[in-house]
Amino acid sequence: MATQDPNSHESCLSKEGCYVALTESPLNLQSITDRVRSPQAGAIVLFAGTTRDSFDGKPVKELQYTAYQPLALRTMLDIATALKTKHGLKGIAMIHRLGVVPIGEESILIAVSAPHRQAAWRAGEEALEECKARVEVWKREEFEAGEGVWRANRDGVKGERIG
Amino acid sequence: MTPKPPKGHFNILYFASAGSYTSKNVEALPAPLPLRKLFSTLEERYQGIRASVLDHSLVTINLAYADVPDDKAPEDKDEIVIQEGDEVAIIPPVSSG
Repeated sequence: MATQDPNSHESCLSKEGCYVALTESPLNLQSITDRVRSPQAGAIVLFAGTTRDSFDGKPVKELQYTAYQPLALRTMLDIATALKTKHGLKGIAMIHRLGVVPIGEESILIAVSAPHRQAAWRAGEEALEECKARVEVWKREEFEAGEGVWRANRDGVKGERIG
Repeated sequence: MTPKPPKGHFNILYFASAGSYTSKNVEALPAPLPLRKLFSTLEERYQGIRASVLDHSLVTINLAYADVPDDKAPEDKDEIVIQEGDEVAIIPPVSSG
């Protein structure tokens, strides 16, 4: 089910204990935690990715994220449903922020709940790595020196300078 | 959202470095177009885009990834052809997180 709340600029997909979303608003740690809360869970693992002020020692002024929204949501839901089955999760929720994200704020939140902590730790880490490898979201870094770069997560790819 | 392409056209979306290179997010191109001719068609319009963007990008048609065949390959009756009204996207290496 895809829904869009015009007030929050948040678009999401959800299915059987899996929730994924993209939003232009600041992310909320409490609300994503509550999305996976379950009486059958003995652990909730929460990951918050935050925007760093430098890359390779160069000061970053601003970061901006853009997405192919319908495809990114679909890929996120694929990742979530596969990990839920693989690790026997009770719930998994992932949300990525788009647009300008000020330095030091959260750009992605991932919450997973499981009966026991081992599965929750592993699933949380795998979810982030899968997202970074596959989800159709792009980060642009504007440096203090004035140039901008589209970053690439793929190993060894430094991103393309765009002047 | 993206406007519908005019009759006889498909939409192509340019993300990240593809958008910077073409200075646009979307445009309509004439359909039908065999997928193997997509990169050469774009190279004609945006000289150099192939080496700097397309060679390390993926392509989707209507939200599904498609393998772009070598454009030197002979015509094949089963080959993928981009149709009128399709939504094609250039997907450079991603960088979420």
